[in-house]
Formats: sequence, C-alpha cells, structure tokens
Amino acid sequence: MQVMVDRAPPGPPAADDRVVAAALRCIARWGLAKTTVDDVAREAGVGRATLYRLFPGGRDALLEAVVRHEVERLGHRLGAAAATAVTLEDVVVAWFAEAAELVADHPALQFLLAHEPESVLPQLAFGRLDALLERAAALGGPLLERWIDQPEDRARAVEWMARVLLSYTLAPSPDVDVRDRESLRRFARAFIIPGLTRSSA
Amino acid sequence: MERSARTRLLEAAYACIGRYGLGKTTVEDVAREAGVSRATVYRHFPGGRDELLREVIAWETTRFFLRLAEAVAGIRDFADLLEEALLYAHEAVESHAVLQQVLATEPERLLPTLTVESARICGHVAEFLTPYLEAAPRRCPGVEPGQAADYVARMFLSWIGAPGRWDLTDRAQVRALVRTEFLAGILLLDDETKRGLPSH
Repeated sequence: MQVMVDRAPPGPPAADDRVVAAALRCIARWGLAKTTVDDVAREAGVGRATLYRLFPGGRDALLEAVVRHEVERLGHRLGAAAATAVTLEDVVVAWFAEAAELVADHPALQFLLAHEPESVLPQLAFGRLDALLERAAALGGPLLERWIDQPEDRARAVEWMARVLLSYTLAPSPDVDVRDRESLRRFARAFIIPGLTRSSA
Repeated sequence: MERSARTRLLEAAYACIGRYGLGKTTVEDVAREAGVSRATVYRHFPGGRDELLREVIAWETTRFFLRLAEAVAGIRDFADLLEEALLYAHEAVESHAVLQQVLATEPERLLPTLTVESARICGHVAEFLTPYLEAAPRRCPGVEPGQAADYVARMFLSWIGAPGRWDLTDRAQVRALVRTEFLAGILLLDDETKRGLPSH
C-alpha cells in the first residue's frame, strides 16, 4: 500500500521509475560493483527507507527492476517500430537499428561492457543466452504476426535476429554499420530476408 | 618433437583448472603440476596467474577449433561442411568436461576472456570458410565471399554456444538450419539440396 502512495502523483515520474533512472546513472558513473543502495537513494533524492519500501529485498530487487525496466523499454521501441513498418524488411531493419541505438546510447551498459564485462557477458553466452533467446522470441514473436503466419516460424525469426544483433553490436563488423539504416538494409537484404521468406514460405 | 616448456605449463594449468576451477588455480599449483619452480612459471608468464589463465583459455579454444577443422577436413561442399561442423562442434561443446564444469560453477571467470577469444576465433573461422565460398559453384549474385564468410562465422559461433530452439544433435534440423538461417542469402540451394536427411 505504501508503494501505491508513492506512485500516486500523476505528473512527475513515479518514485520507482526515478530510482531506476538514478541507479542507471550511478552504474554509468561507477559501475555495478561500486554502486550501493545508499548511492542510488542519494542520487534519486529519496530516503534509504523509501528505497527499501519500493524494492523489498534491496540491491538485488533494485537491479532486477533495472533490467526489467530496460527490457520493457526495448520492447516498447520494437513494438512501435513493428507498428509502423510496412514490409518484413522494414521491421528487420528497424529492429536492428532501434536495438543497436539503444545499446550504443546506453551509458550504463557501455560502462559495464568496457569495465565490468564479467557482469554482462555471462548473460549473453551458453545456457543463459538460450534463456535470453527464448524470452526474446516470446516477446518479439507476436509482433511479427502480420508478416509470418506460423508462431514457430515467428519465434525462429526473432531468435535469429537476436543472435545477429548480439553478434554485430558486441563485435562490430567493418561490413555493417549498425548505426546506419541503409547499411543495415543492405545487410538484411543480403543475409536475413532470403532466409525469413524461405522459412515462412 | 618435444613439447615446449610453455606448452607443458599450459597443459599443467589446464589440468589444474579441471581439478580446482579457474578461481582456485594458483601459480603454485601449476608449478607443482608441471614439476617446475614458481620462477619458471613467471618466466614464461610474467603476468602471473591472470596471464596464465588467459593464455590457457586461448590455447584450449584454439585446440578446440583445430580439432573441428580436422573433423570436417575433406568435405568439399560448403553446406555439407557447415552441417558436419555444427553437429561436431555442438557435441564437442556438450562433452567438453572442463568447459561444462567451469560454465556451471564460475561462468563469470571464463566468459569475458572467452568473448575476447571468440572475436579472434571468429576471424579465423571466416578465413577458413572464405575459400570454400570463393569456390562455391552456386553463389547468389552479388555475394562477396569474405563478407558472407564473416556472417556465417558469426552465426556458427552463436549457435554452437547456444542452440536456442534447435536440436543440434538432429541432423535433419541442422540441415534445415544451415539452408535457411546460414545460407539462404548466400547460396542458391535447389529443392534437392534443401531436403533434410533422416536423423541418425
């Protein structure tokens, strides 16, 4: 109930959103290992008690909320991109561009990749990558309904795109500029679209 | 040919990692395992423990891919080559006792180094694949072999690390995967070659 009270004011961002944003700023500045609950509370301008009330469980609960928040943000961008796309090629290009932009313009993630890779990379390989791909397919698959009929083909397509994105954003290629939509379109036309249309034919 | 002192140290370190894990292996353990002094270890690996562990990961990664290259040697057709390589590599990852043990208990110690390694290996895999693509008789128009090889190498590494929704022990599935996600835009594959083989 206390949480509801904190969330009540409609104008400014809800308290938990402010705390999540503050946590991202702290991580971008000091990294994950050095960011404490006190740092985040101070940065957000809330008391320690309030933070614990918003995130029972403290630091772990807060970090989970941060990840959930960022995944939702990506989900919204991908949803919006799919809503305005006309062709399957449009979606593929827009998704690559949106996700690459989010990663490149994400100071907290960039700090972690550069200075604390052990906090991020284990999530992106082997068993945990399998789990991530499954989640991506579950979130992104339904957005492709207009272009790909079968749910299994949609899940396959999203899993594939997620792999491509991870590879080309974590290890940039001189052949593909992920910040340039024309470059992404050439790449998608060459390697992705033929397989999508073939698998969904 | 006699193995170099450096190789013996890498082998010793690898044995220690299998026994104690990455976090608990010390320079002293490796020296004892190799039957040399700590000073000898430091002479070969001046960076000490961190350098030694990094070098072991690089060394075993290279050995892994050399074994893979050997397993697919002699296959001429590009699609067949990828099919065999995926089947082999998936099985080799699954049955790699030291890798699986480290992944289960201390992935955060392995994966940053392995990711750096995988960027290096990706370049080697692409180099390995390029001549096959240059020689491939039914390349799609406009496909540049070097670029296509880089793409295929990336996908290959992604799938052997995490098979996702694919069963990479099933030959028919691997065949379908190679002919769509890997090669649909790269080679013109007719119906005959697209048809999956029964699994074995």
